[in-house]
Amino acid sequence: MASLALDNVTVDFPIYGVQKTFRGAIRSATGGLIRREGADHQHVSVRALDNLSLSIKHGDRLGIIGHNGAGKSTLLRLCAGVYEPANGRVLIEGKVSPLFNTAPGLDMDDTGYENIITCGLYLGMTREEIARKTPDIEAFSELGEYLSLPTKTYSTGMLTRLGFAIATAIDPEILVLDEGLGAGDARFAEKAKRRVDALIERASVLILASHSDALIKSLCTRAILLQSGRIMVEGSVDEVNEAYRKLNQATDTNPALSADQFLHSTSAY
Amino acid sequence: MTPSYSAAIDDVVSGCTNWRMWGRLGWQETKRRYRRTIIGPFWTTLSLSIFIFTLGILWAQLWKQDPKTYLPFLTAGMLAWGMVSTIITEGCSVFVAAEGLIKSLKFSYTLLTCAVVWRNLIVFFHHLVIYVGVMLYADVEVTANTLLVLPGLFFVAVNGLWVTTLLGIMCSRFRDIQQIVGSVLQISMFVTPIFWTPKQLGNRFILYVDLNPLYHYVDIVRSPLMGKAPALLSWEMVAAGTVVGWAVTLFCYSRFRRRLPYWI
Repeated sequence: MASLALDNVTVDFPIYGVQKTFRGAIRSATGGLIRREGADHQHVSVRALDNLSLSIKHGDRLGIIGHNGAGKSTLLRLCAGVYEPANGRVLIEGKVSPLFNTAPGLDMDDTGYENIITCGLYLGMTREEIARKTPDIEAFSELGEYLSLPTKTYSTGMLTRLGFAIATAIDPEILVLDEGLGAGDARFAEKAKRRVDALIERASVLILASHSDALIKSLCTRAILLQSGRIMVEGSVDEVNEAYRKLNQATDTNPALSADQFLHSTSAY
Repeated sequence: MTPSYSAAIDDVVSGCTNWRMWGRLGWQETKRRYRRTIIGPFWTTLSLSIFIFTLGILWAQLWKQDPKTYLPFLTAGMLAWGMVSTIITEGCSVFVAAEGLIKSLKFSYTLLTCAVVWRNLIVFFHHLVIYVGVMLYADVEVTANTLLVLPGLFFVAVNGLWVTTLLGIMCSRFRDIQQIVGSVLQISMFVTPIFWTPKQLGNRFILYVDLNPLYHYVDIVRSPLMGKAPALLSWEMVAAGTVVGWAVTLFCYSRFRRRLPYWI
């Protein structure tokens, strides 16, 4: 049984090399809190996730929604085991397949076929699995003879198709997905959507980050709203989407509204 | 920072045993560097052989050495030094260069250091062509001692792994270290007996040679190639380096491995 638990996790990104030029504590509107520590405030860090707890069980389809800089990507990377938290614990049971940008380890000098193998190995497939999946990747990417050429000869769209085809060929247990996963032109986008749907079907657990409440609504069974590295609202997709809309209205009228103030204004939920 | 020795050891063991992956990474990188060239990796072999032949003959004259003894010494020394120093140099950038990968995937970072060491072994093996030529010219005998090159390479590889891991971590956090290592290596090439023999230095300064760890790592590969057994002192220094090096590396790796994605 795949499951994932975050227990009071905090993630701070240390910022090096700005100590001399960067003065004064600044609270940005949507990003994480910039903090200064140490005797002379010489340690600058950005708090991306703040004391966050979350439990994801087998069969869950969790949507993460929030503004730019709310901590969505950091949370996804934490779930994928890429980052380890500064405080708190992350317990991952099962194999996590992260799907962020394109395929990991893609090299522009290698041919399409060589990249299928390298990326496949990075994604945790065995050579036999890769050999078995190659016809499927060939068919889906529609690259034909191009797969024998170095990927630097590809157009942007072709490269996206290859990366997408490799990345979605996996059999994931816990699928961690960023909505930014590009998919080329309109015809391909439709094909890509069907492929992602099939991929999600195969997964035991889905964690999806998105700006789009419609996407979350169509794919997820529960959701969280993230703001300044904290979970503002947790619940059903409809509840969370409603809160997200309110947050958008509130920040439109008052951009300086802090997370705390918002939390109080929506505590009636 | 609370240490996690089990996570560090697990990273090293799972990385080293995944030879299919690092074997491929190292081999692809070798192919990549010479793509679209006609003689491929033998370009570096060619330039190294020109270097060795011209300077070898010049220095043999200057230092009144017999070319038939000096050239094998210089060639074997240059091959060993090239491997040792390139592993150290590339160790500094091994993690920084893989930023995209480290920030998007959980995997054993040791795969990357294994790939660096493996690629340098590949380079060493195709440079051996020069050495075969020099052996034929200088009538170097192949003896039972020649086989000692295998344990020699093994120890260079085992030590190469901790050096790349340790330097990779340190250089990710402190970017100055890469520059320092570069400068030190440049000087070391002249201070370490590669162009000159320890005998030429005389007994007064021999202690400085014996205390230079790089000399011993070079020597466990160079002496067998010349048909001689490495000195016992060299084996002892390398053994000590292996133990101390891995101890320090595991000490650091168990504490800072988890910070690596934040540093690069």
